[in-house]
Order: sequence, then C-alpha cells, then structure tokens
Amino acid sequence: MKRLLGRTLPIGAIFFLHLAAPLSAWATQGHGQPEGLYAHQMAHLFFIVSMGVLIYWLRDRNLIAIPGWRFIQYSALFFILWNVDAYTAHYIEEQIDLLRIVRQDPWRIEIQAPEGFRWLPYLYYLAKLDHLLSVPALIFMYLGLKRLLNATDVDKGGIRL
Amino acid sequence: MIVSSVPIWAVDVFGSICMIILAFMCVRLANLLRRRDRNNIIWTYLFWVCTALAVFAVSRSAGHILKQLLILSGDASEWNRIRPYSGAINTLTFMVVGAITLFFQRSWSIYRQIASDKQDLQATRDKLLYLNQNLENLVEARTEALAVSEHKYRRIFETSRDMILVTQMNGIIVDVNPAGREMLGLHAADKKPKNFQQFFSRESDWRSVRTSLKEYGFISNAEIEMLCNQNRSRTLVSGSLNHSATNKAETIHFLVKDIEQKRLTEEQIAQADKLASIGQLSAGIAHEINNPLGIILGYTQLLLRQEGNESEKYHDLKIIEKHVRNCKGIVEDLLNFARTSTPKKASIDIAEALDEVLRFVRHHANLDHIEVVRDYDSKAPPMRLDEKKIKQVFMNLIMNATHAIGKSGRLWLSTRYLPEPEQMIIQFIDSGYGIEDRNLSRIFDPFFTTKPTGEGTGLGLSVSYGIIKNHGGEITVESDLGRGSIFTIRLPYEETQGELHHATKHSDCR
Repeated sequence: MKRLLGRTLPIGAIFFLHLAAPLSAWATQGHGQPEGLYAHQMAHLFFIVSMGVLIYWLRDRNLIAIPGWRFIQYSALFFILWNVDAYTAHYIEEQIDLLRIVRQDPWRIEIQAPEGFRWLPYLYYLAKLDHLLSVPALIFMYLGLKRLLNATDVDKGGIRL
Repeated sequence: MIVSSVPIWAVDVFGSICMIILAFMCVRLANLLRRRDRNNIIWTYLFWVCTALAVFAVSRSAGHILKQLLILSGDASEWNRIRPYSGAINTLTFMVVGAITLFFQRSWSIYRQIASDKQDLQATRDKLLYLNQNLENLVEARTEALAVSEHKYRRIFETSRDMILVTQMNGIIVDVNPAGREMLGLHAADKKPKNFQQFFSRESDWRSVRTSLKEYGFISNAEIEMLCNQNRSRTLVSGSLNHSATNKAETIHFLVKDIEQKRLTEEQIAQADKLASIGQLSAGIAHEINNPLGIILGYTQLLLRQEGNESEKYHDLKIIEKHVRNCKGIVEDLLNFARTSTPKKASIDIAEALDEVLRFVRHHANLDHIEVVRDYDSKAPPMRLDEKKIKQVFMNLIMNATHAIGKSGRLWLSTRYLPEPEQMIIQFIDSGYGIEDRNLSRIFDPFFTTKPTGEGTGLGLSVSYGIIKNHGGEITVESDLGRGSIFTIRLPYEETQGELHHATKHSDCR
C-alpha cells in the first residue's frame, strides 16, 4: 500500500499542476476542404481493395464453380470498375487548372480543356456515366443471390452454397 | 466542347432509382436466404452486405437525384450547402460496405467449421439412431457370430488328435482337450489340479521349456519324453505365452504331438535296413563257405566207407562229419535269413500247420506245464506259402515261447484274417519273462542270443525274419518285461489257383 501511494502521489501532483497552469497544447487539428475529397477517394480505394479480396477468396475456395457465387464475383468486378470510374471522375473534377465545366443552360454544358488535353473532356463525360457500371454490379448481385436461393430450394440441407 | 447533359442526367437519375430498387431487391433475397437457415453465417453475411449496399445506394442515389433536381430548378447554391453532408454520408456507407465485405474470410471459416460439425453431428445421430433401432438385431447377430466362432474353435480343441493344453505360468493345468486327457490319463471327474511338469519324464526338459518360453516367448517342436498313462512316450512339444490386455504373460498354450508310434516305425525301418545289410553280407559268406564244406563232407564220407566201423580213425571221421553237418546247417540258416532261395509256395491251412508244429513240439518237449490256448479264425482262407519254411518259423517261435515261459505259463496262438487289407495275422503270445528294452532292437540280428553259450546259435529268429520277409510279410515283437512277449506275423493273402475264399473245416478251436 505504501509503495502504491509512493508512486501515485507524484504523478497526481504533476497532473494537477498542469491544470493549474494551462498552455496551448495543439491537441486538435484543423481540417481544410481537400481532406473530405481525400477521405472519399481513399474510401473508393478501400472499396476496390475489399472487392478485390472478395474475388480472390471466392476463386481461392473455388466457389466460382457455383453459379450464385460466380455472379457475385462479377458483381464485385463491376463494383471495382465503378470505383475506378468514380475515382477518375472525382480526380478530373478537382483538376480546375486543366478542366473547366460551364453550364450553358439546363440541358447543355461546356467542357473546356487546354491544348494537349483535348481527350480529357471525353474521358470526363464517359466517367460521369458511372451508373452504367454500378447498376450492372447490383444486377449481378441480385442474380447471384437468386441462384443461391434456388440452389437452397434444391438442396434443402443448405450445406451446398 | 459543348455537349448535351441529358445522357448524364438520365443515367444519373434513372441509374440512382435502379440502384435503390435493385439494392432493396438484393436485401429481400438475402433475407429470404437467411430465413431458410438462420444458423447459416454465410447467409447472414450476405444479408449484412446487401443491407450495407442498400444504405449506400439510398444515400448516394438520394444525393444524386436531389442534386439534379436542385440544379434543374436553379437552386445550385442549395445543393452546394447539402453537398458536403451527402458526400460524407456516401463515403461512410461504402466504407461500411467494404468493411463488411472483408468479413467474408472469417464468416466462411466459421461456416465451414459449423457445416463440418453439423455433418459429424448428423452422422453420429444417424449412427445412434441406427444402433438404437437395430441394437437388438445387432446384438443377436454378434452373439451368433461369437457362438459360431466359439463353436469352430471349440471343435478344433475338442476333436484335435493332438494334445492342446492351457496352463498357468507355474505349469498348473487350466484346460486340456479330450486327446490330451487321454494321453495323460486324466479323468474328467478328477478335479484335483495337476501340474504339467509332473508328466515330464525328465525335470530338466521342463526347465528347458520354461527357459525357452521366458527368453523367446515360445518353444517349437521340442522332442520331449513324457509319462503318458504311466508309459514313456516321445512327444513334440510346442508352446507360446498368452499375453493379457496389459501385455502380461498369464497362461501358456501348449500343443503336444505324440510321436512314439512314428519313432517306433522309424526304428523298425532302420532295423529292417540293418537286417537286410546283414543278410546280404551273410549270403556272401555262406556261399563261400558252403562249397568247401561240401567238399570236406564228401571226402569225409569217402574216407568213412574205407574204414572199419570200430577203428579209431572211423570215430574221428564221424566227429568231423558231424561238425561239418552242423556248419552246413548254420550256413543253410544264414542263407534262409538272407532270403536267397525262392519259396516253394503251395496252398496250406495256417491252423493245420500250427497244429502240426504243436504236435511235433509236444513229442519232443514237455508242454504239460504250459497251457496252450488256440484261437484260430474259422473264416481264414488257405494261404499260398512255403509250408516247410513257414512251419520252421512256427517251430522257432513256439520253442522260443516255451523257453521264455519256463516252468509254467500260458501260450496263446491266434490267427485273424483281415479282409481289408487282405492279410493274415498270426500271433504267438506267451506269459514268459519278456525281453529287455535294450535287446528288443537286436532280437532279429543273426547270432544274437540271450541263452547261455552252447544252448542256441542265435539264428532262429533271424531265419524266421528272413522267411517271413521272403513271403512279403513282416514279423514284429512287443514285450513287457516280466509279463511276456507278443510275436506278430503279418502275411499278405495271395489267392490260390482254383481256390476261392472258403471257410476252413476248422471250427473255432478255442
């Protein structure tokens, strides 16, 4: 007990002395506008990695031999493509020195790019059509689940996946 | 470049609507899967992935639709106010989707483990169910199989002609089969524990058996003399230690084979071989001696004719003639033993021949003190034999028996005809003093005699042996010292020409 008090008392004393004399500790960090974009882009990368890992596991366990899981693999692949597309679109949008988008009217836009980057507007335009990848990803997910459900109808034991 | 934003707008709005619809359809299917088997962690995993996707789809699509509507309505500034919230929620939701997706590996491992355990459990349950339903039948079948097995091995144990014996480590007999009981002279009623050791003629044999068992765990085909029914009998002993479940030697299993008869046969064969060799040697010598003896006898008789009956020279020549004749007799006996002459076979009645010999012996020897029992087979057929020589054999054996009987006793003469194999058995059983074991193997040797010098040449039995062998038969002897001997002649039946088996005129002469 004496030993415990002997150690605790000096530490407690130092703690209370610090409260008595506060200083700027820089404990919190300010977050500017780019951080949200970076977090979003990192989330896209994380999504790509997780879907890639899922595909690897499905193939490693030869689950792709089962139609349901094969469709889920395709779904994961389309999600990867969608993430790449979304990442690219976000990236291009942020390149204000290279690309300027001016809305001419509600149904027309002007995409301006400097000399030497004439291909960039086309790429941006295509990248904006990202639902052409995300919707098939969900369709494949749906088909995969449907097949798995049918398979469980056949195999009531539910052991086969 | 100026382009239409309609495709972007259409794909964005309709794509967003489709995403929400499809995501919820996926949630529904995943939920259905989960309901099928609530214990299946993979279905639960898919349900959570789909739920996370649905939240992501709603957050993202709602943001996109709102964005397009606000821009179209000219309220872009309002969208700029909402945009950070929408983007942040959107970021969070697909991070959650990615995070949940990464649980696949763990979920799959748990699923496989559960599935494997479930399978094992199911297999065990099925087995238990089967055992429960069929326990009675299984026990019955097993009991029957055990009974069949027990019966099979019991039969081997019971019907074996060799002794099968189980003893404790100290030799106390635990179990013995009927053949063993008969061999050792044990009675089933006798409950007193016996030690296997007491049936060993020599204690050293038991010690060597124990040593072998101790060192090697077994003993194989050890030739050991045992006391079987008070008689010594040569046996082959094999044995091994029987270990218990704890690997401790508890009992010894013995297999004992009586080889006495086999050894006796081997000795008889060896004896026959020996006699055949002696016979060949004797025949050679006899031929060489016979001719000079004939010349000596011839010249002696020539000289006798020239001498007067009363002269001293005449008496000397008579002595020479007598001894030469003795020598010729011995030579003739040797030739008979060596079986050089072909027997002059004729149909004779064995019983008649025996009676004639018996009558002759009665005339020349006093048989009053000997009770003669004649036990002839009335159905015995006539035999084709050399009558003179066969009678000589009978004479030798009867004379030997009378000498062995001594002052008083009994002589048993018997004949038996065996139809299968066709064989005549003639036995001379006397109640004399018997033959010592050490002499039994030499009894048919030429010049072997136990009589004092001058009382016998030792050729009688050798000659008899030669004559019987010359007829294709065999002569054997069994003897019990102090109780008598049995001489047995076995002669093969040879059908006489024009004569068929018929009952002899003799009735049972007993």
